[in-house]
Amino acid sequence: MTRNSSCAAAALILTLSLISAGCAASAKNQIFFGKTDPPRDNVLRYVSGSEPETLDPQIPDLQNEARIFIALYEGLAEYDPKTGEPVPALAERWEVNKDSSEFVFHLRRTGRFSNGDPITARDFVYTIRRGLSPETASRSASLGHAIKYAQPYNSGGQFVFDPDSKTFLLEKDFAEDEGVTTKSGVAARRPPPPLSSLPVVSVTDEYPPIPENTTPIADTPFHQLMHSAARVVVPGDPKKRNVALDANPKLKAAVAGKKLVPVEAKDIGVEAVDDYTLRISLVKPAPYFISLMPHHFFRVVHQKTIEQFGHAWTDPKHIVTSGCFRMEAWKRYDRIIVARDPMNWDAQNVRLDGIVFYMLADIPTMLNLYKAGELDATYNHTVPPAWLESMATMKDFMDARETATDYYRFNTTKGPTSDVRVRKALNMALDKKALADWRHVQPLIGVTPQGIFPGYPQPQGDVFDPEKARRLLAEAGYRDAGGNFDPAKFSAAEVELITNADGSNIPFAEFNQALWKRSLGITIQIRVMESTTFHAEVAKLDYKGMARTGWGADYMDPFTFLDLYSTPTGNNGTGWWDRRYVELLDEANRTIDHQRRYEILAQAEQMVLDAQPIIPTVVGTTRWMKKPYVKGMYPNPLSLYSWKSVYIERDPAKWDYGVPSMAMSGPSAVAGG
Amino acid sequence: MLRFIIRRVVIIIPMLFIVVSLTWGLVRVAPGNFYSGEKKLAPAVEKNLRDKYGLDKPWYVQYRKVLWNIARFDFGDSLKYEGQSVNQILFRALPVSAVLGLSAYLLALLVGITTGTLAALRQNTWIDYASMTLAMLGISIPNFVLGPLLVLVFALTLFWLPPALWQGFPSRSIILPAITLSALYIAYIARLTRSGMLEVMRSDYIRTARAKGLSESQVVWRHGLRGGLLPVVSFSGPALAFLITGTVVVERVFALPGLGNYFINACFNRDEPLIIGIVAFIAVTVLVFNLLVDIAYGFIDPRISY
Repeated sequence: MTRNSSCAAAALILTLSLISAGCAASAKNQIFFGKTDPPRDNVLRYVSGSEPETLDPQIPDLQNEARIFIALYEGLAEYDPKTGEPVPALAERWEVNKDSSEFVFHLRRTGRFSNGDPITARDFVYTIRRGLSPETASRSASLGHAIKYAQPYNSGGQFVFDPDSKTFLLEKDFAEDEGVTTKSGVAARRPPPPLSSLPVVSVTDEYPPIPENTTPIADTPFHQLMHSAARVVVPGDPKKRNVALDANPKLKAAVAGKKLVPVEAKDIGVEAVDDYTLRISLVKPAPYFISLMPHHFFRVVHQKTIEQFGHAWTDPKHIVTSGCFRMEAWKRYDRIIVARDPMNWDAQNVRLDGIVFYMLADIPTMLNLYKAGELDATYNHTVPPAWLESMATMKDFMDARETATDYYRFNTTKGPTSDVRVRKALNMALDKKALADWRHVQPLIGVTPQGIFPGYPQPQGDVFDPEKARRLLAEAGYRDAGGNFDPAKFSAAEVELITNADGSNIPFAEFNQALWKRSLGITIQIRVMESTTFHAEVAKLDYKGMARTGWGADYMDPFTFLDLYSTPTGNNGTGWWDRRYVELLDEANRTIDHQRRYEILAQAEQMVLDAQPIIPTVVGTTRWMKKPYVKGMYPNPLSLYSWKSVYIERDPAKWDYGVPSMAMSGPSAVAGG
Repeated sequence: MLRFIIRRVVIIIPMLFIVVSLTWGLVRVAPGNFYSGEKKLAPAVEKNLRDKYGLDKPWYVQYRKVLWNIARFDFGDSLKYEGQSVNQILFRALPVSAVLGLSAYLLALLVGITTGTLAALRQNTWIDYASMTLAMLGISIPNFVLGPLLVLVFALTLFWLPPALWQGFPSRSIILPAITLSALYIAYIARLTRSGMLEVMRSDYIRTARAKGLSESQVVWRHGLRGGLLPVVSFSGPALAFLITGTVVVERVFALPGLGNYFINACFNRDEPLIIGIVAFIAVTVLVFNLLVDIAYGFIDPRISY
């Protein structure tokens, strides 16, 4: 027995010395992590994370699929390689009406699917209708809900038709808002209807002046229909319909005896004005709508192939794509190989012959492959914090601020955290500077990540102030006879911090636990859960106290972060909701002046900070590896790369030694924070 | 013999029923769903998904469907992977796991039996001590440590072998995973062989064989191993079943598209049909291999008869 254990000890020592020898060897005098021999072929070897659920771009909603979709499919707009902002792609230009409630896209005449079929406005109409169809069951469908009647169509809603007068019931006649007062006693204002719901006086009037050499946009019967007053929509499900009707007696009386007509694909606000003009009418103003266009949900798919093969259309034998690259091979759970598509309108500007996407999500394995020179780049968040010390100094380490935030949600519906003073105290007691320094990142000061949106007047939440935090907690009732804060009164069992075990969430939580202990003398318990369980608990607001969260932008606009709190359910996860907040957001989106809109959005953000349904912690940071010979790939804030710009440089003199410059011409360079 | 086999085959059915029901129950009890993730879905979107996969039907309807699927050996469609049936996934992933498992198995038998026999024949010499120390190491070092260690030395320092990925068979990419996978089995087999051989080599029939004047190698090969390997046989049947049906850790460390990798992801994704399909498949494989082992006993050991 003794002998065996001493053997095991000897083995352990051997193991450890081997590992440290390996690490020492790699850290010594190396400016790059591992081999830097460019690949033989002009093919990028990349890694995409877990196996994609499907190669149908309209169904999944995660980044591992998005990386591949950007290669295989193209949309009206594409992500700018440096900023992630939308730049023209299959649409060569677009016009936005005066209140951002209607968009007209002018398509290129040279757009082609991989089988040579031309890409027309009709293909986009098909694509958007298909994405919103309930049968498609797309996870990203809510991105299209801004389109007129899209949400009712997606959720199986019904119009109410009066057979006698041959008209549909209209929303304006049954508005619930009138006479309703909010909690604060302020009468709710009804926002004026968007231009897209007002009768068309003149198309040219609705839009800002259009350059003379372009053809004016035609008015059509469908356009007039879109511009008539919005119809009433009731839920298709009888149970839900009754609930909705009971809440609005006037509507209930009017619906009785009328015919219910399901909202159909043809009703949603997407129209092919001609082969190369696409018009999209929205239910309300959304200036950020253009930023959504590069999302894979809106990338064009081929109708005939889908109708012919059903689910099997993404099979490599059948698939027809629209992007710069077409499918070569799909070895499941192993790799997807794509090759430059000669049919693409911009093929001469695509510099790679192809891309291999390896399907693996294990970070050490990924970095091993990278080091051995079998991968040319990894994706965001692939350098674990523990490795930073040795990796951050390497010239192939990529890092930049990300359009992503890390924060803790409060359950504002129950327990001590339903008291805003407790929430504020827990926020103020957290030394975010210490936290951020430890993680080598920037502290998050608001709801939106600072320094990402140029010109946005970022509001700032409460600063670190343990003294005030203790005072607030004393006020909230956790005090001794003398009126001072008493940590013993604060029941640790009622406020805990739940987190999933992904990445460095656990050490992060432990660090914060220590910070709270230091400034308040209370121990917040941490409960670690497996991811799926964790998300289910947060969604149902079952957690006590706090829950760890991160949010990555769906598009480049502060609204993607602020929209989280516009409904009490969904991705909110805190239970906090305020009607005035929603009104502010609406007002902002109706505002034409860009800067003024930002100011109103910032006011709304300040409202969240005041109510403190979350504790902002740190700003996301990209952290990935890229071989110096891979050029045209930038650590942009979305971590999504337009593959067109990427190429392999064989001349070491032109390699990237460090993070490539992302400076843009003009004032949009990332500001400090 | 035939009656024994029939009895054992019939018993597979209730066993499988229990395994599948338990798995189904556990998946149901686990919180979350295949679509629950960091981003919560809009209610309309969630409802569309639930309708599409029949998740709102009563539990007994869903359970009946699961059992009916198993009875036909058609496990239905994966929830996570659009348009792929569980059977397709099994047929695609099994060859990878099987090739890897068989390689590791053969390696384990070869190295394990050789070292075990040598250790037994040279009991209490340095050969014995050295091989048993190595065996102890093999048992104590988990493969999630051994795998990265081998990668560090052979792939990242010496650059001899690829650190991960599946390049098909045969290729150099299988060497490190097969070694990693076989280490534990080499160790077990070596120890089992050693103790089996030690016991057998002292038994009367070996003495008889020696008394007949057989050479030592004939004694070992013809008589010794046959009896000494019985424990190895009973161990290696289920071992083979487990090896070829996928190994979660090794397939993940080396990023191999095998059953184990699918299985672990299916669990994280709550992909019910895929979980049940893989569990049922593994259960059947293990039961069948156990049966084969019992049959093999009859041939190897003349003392056993059914």
